[in-house]
Amino acid sequence: MLDKINTTKKNFDEDIKNVVDLSSLEDFRIKYLSRKGIVTQIIDSLKDVPKEDKPIIGRAINELKKYTFSIYEELKSKLENEKKSSENFIDLTLPGRVKEIGSKHIITQTLDEIKNIFKGLGFSVYEGPELESDYNNFEALNFPDDHPARDMQDTFFITEKFLLRTHTSPVQIRLMQSKKPPLRAIMPGKVFRNEAVSAKSFCLFHQVEGLYVDTDVTFAELKGTLVAFVKQFFGQDVQYRFRPSFFPFTEPSAEMDIWWEPKGKEGRWMEILGCGMVDPNVLSNVGIDPEKFVGYAFGMGIERTAMRKYGIDDIRILFDNDKRFLTQF
Amino acid sequence: MKISLNWLKDYIDLTGISVNEIIEKITFAGLEVEEVIDQRKNYENIVIGFVKESKKHPNANKLSLCKVSDGEKDYNVVCGAPNVATGQKVPFAKVGAVIPNGNFKIEKAKIRGEVSEGMICSEKELGISDNHDGIMVLDPSLKEGINFSDAMNLNDVIMEINITPNRSDALSHIGIARDLSAIFNRPLKLPEIKLNESKIKSEELAQVEIQDAKLCPRYVGKVVTNVTIKESPEWLKNKIKSIGLRPINNVVDVTNFILYEIGQPLHAFDLDKLSQKKIVVKTANENEKFITLDSKERILKSIDLMICDAERPVAIAGVMGGENSEVTNETKNILIESAYFNPSSIRKTAKRLALSTDASYRFERGTDINITIWAARRAAQLIQETAGGEIAASEIDAYPNKISEKKTFVRFNRITKILGYEIDKKLVENILSNLGFEILSKDNEMLELKIPSYRNDVEREIDIIEEIARIYGYNNIPEVNKISITLEEKVDNSFFVDKVRNTLNALGFYEIITNSMLPEQIAKQFGKPISVMNPQSSEMSHIRPSLIPGILQSISNNLKVNERDLMFFEIGKIFNLKNEKINSFNDFDETEFLIAAITGKQSRTVWYEKEREYDFYDMSGFVKTFLSKLLPNSEFNFSVNTNDGSYEYSVKIIHEQEEIGIIGKIKNNFLTQFDINQSVFAVEINLDKIKRIQSSHKGFEELLKFPKVYRDFAFVLDEKIEADLVIKLIKQFGSKLLHNVNLFDIFQSESLGKGKKSLAFQLEYYDKTRTLTEEEVEKDFRNLIKVIETKFDAQLRGA
Repeated sequence: MLDKINTTKKNFDEDIKNVVDLSSLEDFRIKYLSRKGIVTQIIDSLKDVPKEDKPIIGRAINELKKYTFSIYEELKSKLENEKKSSENFIDLTLPGRVKEIGSKHIITQTLDEIKNIFKGLGFSVYEGPELESDYNNFEALNFPDDHPARDMQDTFFITEKFLLRTHTSPVQIRLMQSKKPPLRAIMPGKVFRNEAVSAKSFCLFHQVEGLYVDTDVTFAELKGTLVAFVKQFFGQDVQYRFRPSFFPFTEPSAEMDIWWEPKGKEGRWMEILGCGMVDPNVLSNVGIDPEKFVGYAFGMGIERTAMRKYGIDDIRILFDNDKRFLTQF
Repeated sequence: MKISLNWLKDYIDLTGISVNEIIEKITFAGLEVEEVIDQRKNYENIVIGFVKESKKHPNANKLSLCKVSDGEKDYNVVCGAPNVATGQKVPFAKVGAVIPNGNFKIEKAKIRGEVSEGMICSEKELGISDNHDGIMVLDPSLKEGINFSDAMNLNDVIMEINITPNRSDALSHIGIARDLSAIFNRPLKLPEIKLNESKIKSEELAQVEIQDAKLCPRYVGKVVTNVTIKESPEWLKNKIKSIGLRPINNVVDVTNFILYEIGQPLHAFDLDKLSQKKIVVKTANENEKFITLDSKERILKSIDLMICDAERPVAIAGVMGGENSEVTNETKNILIESAYFNPSSIRKTAKRLALSTDASYRFERGTDINITIWAARRAAQLIQETAGGEIAASEIDAYPNKISEKKTFVRFNRITKILGYEIDKKLVENILSNLGFEILSKDNEMLELKIPSYRNDVEREIDIIEEIARIYGYNNIPEVNKISITLEEKVDNSFFVDKVRNTLNALGFYEIITNSMLPEQIAKQFGKPISVMNPQSSEMSHIRPSLIPGILQSISNNLKVNERDLMFFEIGKIFNLKNEKINSFNDFDETEFLIAAITGKQSRTVWYEKEREYDFYDMSGFVKTFLSKLLPNSEFNFSVNTNDGSYEYSVKIIHEQEEIGIIGKIKNNFLTQFDINQSVFAVEINLDKIKRIQSSHKGFEELLKFPKVYRDFAFVLDEKIEADLVIKLIKQFGSKLLHNVNLFDIFQSESLGKGKKSLAFQLEYYDKTRTLTEEEVEKDFRNLIKVIETKFDAQLRGA
């Protein structure tokens, strides 16, 4: 009996090699697996096997059954698939059904990147109004009345006492008036300058301001924080330098330059942000004791930063909202 | 401001320091060098040449063939100038030189068969004058081979320095030299003044009376008589020209020279033109007319400070002199004015008259009240040197209220506290004394200092710390590489709006940013706009009261470049007046708004679908998804708007009885104004309002374990009945088991009857705790059919 099983298996393996399509598979099935087929007959003959041989013979038959059926099924589904695909041709190269998703304006994307870096350094994010009082925009920030420092920021006035903010620094004043130190925050937003619209300047742009007030804030820490920022934003190998400058609300004041080599042009130092230690007058104006607390502040233009990063040389394209531009970012 | 390096060298010894180092160091001290013109670079490879031999070119009549020596080698040069001759010293441009006028490079060439290894230049080619009649013939004593620029003193370096508004002390060559003195620790040399004065005193020849001592704290006058007005000597003309000014005459050039030397603006009056030889300093009469030096008539206000004689004004103080007292070629006797004016007063006048002069620029930033005498004496010295005459003895010094000296202190530990870095005490002292601060006393803790009168920007300890830091060099203060993070409450005001942006992006909208300023005629159609007092143009006279104009403008821009299918959004502030006048923050609203708009085709024909225009339901669908993602636990209703404002038709978005936004089709009238010829659907949402909606976290909801049961029905009813009304009614009358009603078909045809439509709904039933029975669903379903039939006079079409 065992011999017969083995021979059957051998013949089965031999014959299956000749099966090439579904009709020869059917002949093959009839020969082995149909009701009168060789394998079926062997299975049926188990009942005639002497009782003592049944465990061994039974197992052998069972294995033969499993083996032959699984080989058959495998081949069958393979042949069926071949047949199907040759009948129903699927052109997988047709363009897919595209679903367009939008994007944030490049200014927002740049701001997000800046925000993420500073949030990682423990900064909060505060916002404030765009239509501001002269007091918050200038006076509280130590801009004397009738001082040439006011010419640094050409202002759109609404009335004598109200204006479109020329920088995000009034948010500093609002924040320091409403909360006690330690304060560590960045303040992004839209600002306005009464400058003729050209490739280099627009009547409005976006800024992000930073402020840190505590008992042990130093110029060395301001430098360290900004260096960490420019490395993360522009790349670890960015070259930078600090230059003394003048802002009424900081003392000492500085500007930070990075070395910039636009494609195909000569490299040069480019100013990317202004910064400094919060002027004691500003702290006094908001009721913080300047002898006890020290602060630093910094601010940068987002458009300029974005334009530098993406190699855009006309600011106006940022506000045209041309779809061919928007979809690039 | 233009600064000449050669001129600087009159006041400080800079030998051994390269130009690049000077530029870098003064930039690092806060005097930013924005541009550098190096004259020597203009004349590179141009040397003094000696014409050893000049003969006719064998092949050309008008050309000469020369042998030019630079002292080391002889060169063959073909020259076209008629005046070239043997034995001349000439400017010789060697191979490699770039000719300044025309910017072309000299190369070895063959001219009519003869080799030429350079060029002999004309004055025009060297950019010295317009003379192009022939080559420039130089002083025969010049040694051949030396650089042309050195030989001709054209070796200056002109720096354009950006002086910040606080540094009025640096608006002169001596001012810059003083910073260099501190940077390089070298002494500052002031020019010596030795006057040969006559016996008559200035106050015998002229008088000064200050009537407004607040606006004019000090007025110094000095007289020089019998001068001869003429052209200035070369050295003075060169100095004036080097900083980009035009020489006028000796007296005017001297006053300009001193302004750029020490920063004190001077004015020279023709003394004989002053009535009673008297100066009166007082404010103008309201609307008084006055003709300034530039022959323009100015109308004055009573706050403007004037310099007058006994009868009439002769100058606008600190801004510009008058035609009536101008120094002319006939002038014999001169009164030099060296004054100190109130900065704010000068600024107001100069600003109002839109007349910014070198003088007003300095006065409004604050000049040195104590340099006035020195400057007057210096002027007298140079006028005598260049114009002859006699200097009247002493000065008229009208100085009613002497301004006291300013003092301050600096603590060493405060320097360290602010900078986070300790600077050597000795170095601190050195820096400060080189800058002109007098150390009144010192101990281990601090320095007491006298502030020099030219430092109007220094008053406090922190100002002194800045001086120390900038001269020490910001880049020499090491930055920390470790910070600590304080654990106060962290806030992110922009968190919600960022989520709004992300959600809209996912729905396919691109963010735009538009101008917040609009023309009045547009702005007024969209709200109660706030006007700008000093707009740039009438195109930007008002602040936007709505985001609609901005987005329409952007759509319009895109249609012009044939981008027609658009999904845009903008988030920004809008401004509306609440009261006529703005006196406080309560008189207007500043509100953060969102606008999103769609226009064009939702889809263009592609292989799998037909094209379709965007419509209202695209927009309302977007809004529904948007709100459900943004505020998942809040309920919003849309209700048809009867007061449409900017919209053809619209619905209000309501949350708990409050209107938070509007969805609609923009009126055609607005579209035409922006040249838009396709429908635009928009949503406006008040972000300040939806930010306030408390989205409570209701937590995880158990997933449904029992099957849902669906039932469909369709009704024929009057076409004017709003679908939402039917849905609301179904929800109202349905049992607790009914959870959702979905409108899945709308159908209109003649067969239904005129004015009729068919609405088909699918009802979703389930219970969270058990499987529903057929009977209970059927009962509710039947009941709803009856309700709809009776309430809307509807007929059941199928169920």
